[in-house]
This record gives sequence, C-alpha cells and structure tokens, in this order.
Amino acid sequence: MSEPVVISSRVRLARNLADYPFPCRMTDAQRAEVVEKVRLAVKNLPDEFMFVLMEDISELDTVAMVERHLISPDFADSTKGRALAVTKDESISIMINEEDHLRIQVIKPGLSLKEAYDIADRIDTELQRELHFAFDNKLGYLTQCPTNLGTGMRASVMMHLCALGESHAVSRIAGNLGKLGFVIRGTYGEGSDASSALYQLSNQVTLGISEKSAIENLMNICNQLAESELNTRARLMESMEYQDKISRSMGILLTARLISHAEAVKLLSNVRLGITEGLIEDVSIETIDSLMLSIQPASLMRAQGKKLTPSERDKARAQLIRETLR
Amino acid sequence: MKCQKCKVKNATTQVKRVVNGEYEEYMLCADCAHEMGFDNIFDNSMPDMFGGLIKSLFGTALPARSQATRCPVCGSSFGDISNTGKVGCAKCYEAFLSDLLPSIRRIHGNTTHCGKSPESPAISDKSVADMPTSPTVQELKAELEQAVKEQNFEYAAQLRDKIKEMEESTNE
Repeated sequence: MSEPVVISSRVRLARNLADYPFPCRMTDAQRAEVVEKVRLAVKNLPDEFMFVLMEDISELDTVAMVERHLISPDFADSTKGRALAVTKDESISIMINEEDHLRIQVIKPGLSLKEAYDIADRIDTELQRELHFAFDNKLGYLTQCPTNLGTGMRASVMMHLCALGESHAVSRIAGNLGKLGFVIRGTYGEGSDASSALYQLSNQVTLGISEKSAIENLMNICNQLAESELNTRARLMESMEYQDKISRSMGILLTARLISHAEAVKLLSNVRLGITEGLIEDVSIETIDSLMLSIQPASLMRAQGKKLTPSERDKARAQLIRETLR
Repeated sequence: MKCQKCKVKNATTQVKRVVNGEYEEYMLCADCAHEMGFDNIFDNSMPDMFGGLIKSLFGTALPARSQATRCPVCGSSFGDISNTGKVGCAKCYEAFLSDLLPSIRRIHGNTTHCGKSPESPAISDKSVADMPTSPTVQELKAELEQAVKEQNFEYAAQLRDKIKEMEESTNE
C-alpha cells in the first residue's frame, strides 16, 4: 500500500436534491428535512454508516475530523443543520448540508483514485434510487457553486513532494498545472508552509470532461510528478549534508521532550524521505503517515481525552512521537 | 456587394466602429442596418450586434434583465448570485442561464456536461462520453452578448474571432 510519494487518494462527489434550494438559501426546517431524507436513504445502503448530527458532537471531535480530512473546515465552522454519515473505518463519508446537500467522499491510502471513484460512484448510484438529484442534460449535476457543475467530482491525491518542494520546483509547476485544469497546494497552511512538503493535487475542471478522463488525466500528472520527485530525491541524497539532515531529524524526534506541530511535521517529512531512500530502515512509511495525522492539536487532545494548553500539547506530542518511533 | 448579415440584399450602409481598440467594419443592407439600430444618427448609444438583434426580435416580450428579475423558486436575483458566488437553487441555472454561461465557460472552458447522468449511470465508462463537445455558434453568440453587457471586451473580442472563424469554416 505504501508508496514513496503518494500518501492518499480522495474522490468526492457533490450532489443536490432537486426539490430543495441549495444550502445557502435553505430554511432551518428545510435543512432538517434534507438531513432526514438523506439519513433514510443512507440507512438502505449495504455499507454500515454511523450517522451523527454535527450539533451533537464536541468541538474537539469536530476539529479532529477536519484534521483527519473527514470533513471540511467550513463544515466544522457552523454545525447547525448539518450531519455526517461515516463508515467505521472512515474511508467513506457523506457530509450533509455542506456547500451542497450531499458531499460523498471516499479516501483510500496510496494511489487508488480508480478504486475510490468506483466506491463513490456506487454509493451515488444507490442513493439516487431514493433521492432525486438535481441534474441538467447540458450542465450535468447542478451545484451551489458553478465551479463544481458537471460531474461534481473533485479527485485529489496527497503527495509528499519534499525534494521538489525543497528545490522550489512545485511553485513553478503549479502555474503550468493551472493551465491544464489542475491545482496543487500545500496541505498545512496555504503556500507559506512549504516545509511540510505535503501537497494536494486535484482536478479543477468538472464540466465537459467525464469522471473517467478526469481521473486518468490526474493520474498521469500524478505519476509524472512522482517520477520527477524520485529523481530529485536521488540527487539530493548524494549530498552528505542532506543525509546528515535526515539522521539529525530522526535524532530529534527520538529524544525531544517538547515539539511544536510545525517542527514535528518538518522532521517527520525528512524521516519519511530517509525511509523511502533506504537511509532509515526500522520505521515504516505507514507509521510516519499515521503520526502526521495523530500529532495534530485536536487529534492529540482527543487521544488524551482532555483539553491541553499549547505547551502541554508540545509535551504530549513529543512523548507520542518518541514512543511510536522507538 | 451583398449585405454581410442577410447575404441577400445589396449593402448600402457602411458601419465602422472601434471596439476595445480594434477596428471593425460591416457592410449592411438598409433593412439589416435598421434592424440593428445603425440607421439612427441621433442615437449615439449603438446597441451591440447581437443584443440589439435579440431585443428587436422579442420586443417588449423579453423582460428587462435587471436586479429585479428573480428566480421563481428561491427568489435569488442574478445580483445575489454574482455577489456571493453561490447559486440559489437548481432552477436558477435555468432562470439565469445566459448570465451564468460566460462565467461557467471561464471556469471550465466548456459548457456541456459529459459523464455520468442519473438516467445512464454507466455512461462515464463509454469512450464516446470522453469526447469534449464544442460550443455552437448560437451559444457563443449568447455569450458574446453577455460579455459585451458586462463590458468584458477582451473576452468579447476573443469570442467574436471564434464566431467569425466558425462561420467562415461552415461557409467554405
């Protein structure tokens, strides 16, 4: 499953019920009706979903869901009249009354866009037996924001582009990708925090291109980027300074008593590179990828079962990393 | 010389104008010139090519597109949509289609869906669905009209060239 460059794949489909205004124009009563209709339809799916009203769960749990990419930051911001259906393994989720009535999302580890799409496609087909989705022959699935018209599909891959990021190649590539209808952005903070080296590549165009073509194009770009990343990594690793940087990163992670989120992400990124290039052998990529998620503030506090001050978090984070990597 | 619009009658009226810094010249017959409002020398506000045409065809039957025009289902005006970037409901796409098309084309470079549909969920697997469809001259003209209304002259000039190109290739 683990791939040196692609961490995870995600596909989401935007759908709206034809008989209700889009969420920006809905009354509270209509929101509740849509939640109930979708709840009943989800109940009939073969997959087992947990159904939660966002108002019923704690702020900490909500933010932790954002950190796990299960829901969008916007969805967490205002929880009124919103609900989430999610499978136990969290690979399939349906946000209800986000920007659209339904956002069906499937996340899979590694480069598994086709598998993720097939699942999202099946859920959509099954749901549409019970729900009447807004669709126009010319414009496709109708969405609140015209940027999602057509297939309503946004496919994305999370990529570890530490070497390309280091050589500032990602910002150069970003401009060209834009012209091809793709977008690449840093996942920890917009643009500024390139140190994390985690990027999300996704399709922008949803109208006039089929789901299959959009995914194939995305995979092509993704493979080209991955190849270029691997070549750049090989060159970087020739330098003793770089090997030293990776070993020191591992050293700090193994011994630090306090560590901020930003520093931890940066060092884990270096260690991840060390693993894929064979410099570090006794840690798996999966361990690093799962640490990247669990060291985030809300996830950390959720695991500890209580709210923590920033310095308490730094302490808990350092401890979690030490124990995991040992 | 025949009129460039109806291509039937003899051209008697020469129209010269500069749009977005680009010089244009048309030769029209008296009827077409009148229809397009080019015969009134006292009226300096010449209607744009296609907007004028459509208005003269529909007369007053076509409601004036303004902030007051609202979606019959959700009550959104086009102003609401362009201010928030959010469309109010599915019906808005019908009610404001001509207003929305230029932005849709700018976003996607295309205005025709291909891929899955509720009736034929499997269509996305067919290769024929992968063929992008080109816009028709009619669609481009509607967009041109809107672009001129929005004073988006750069985009309008691109559309005009494209329409000209398409019309020439069909005439050949």
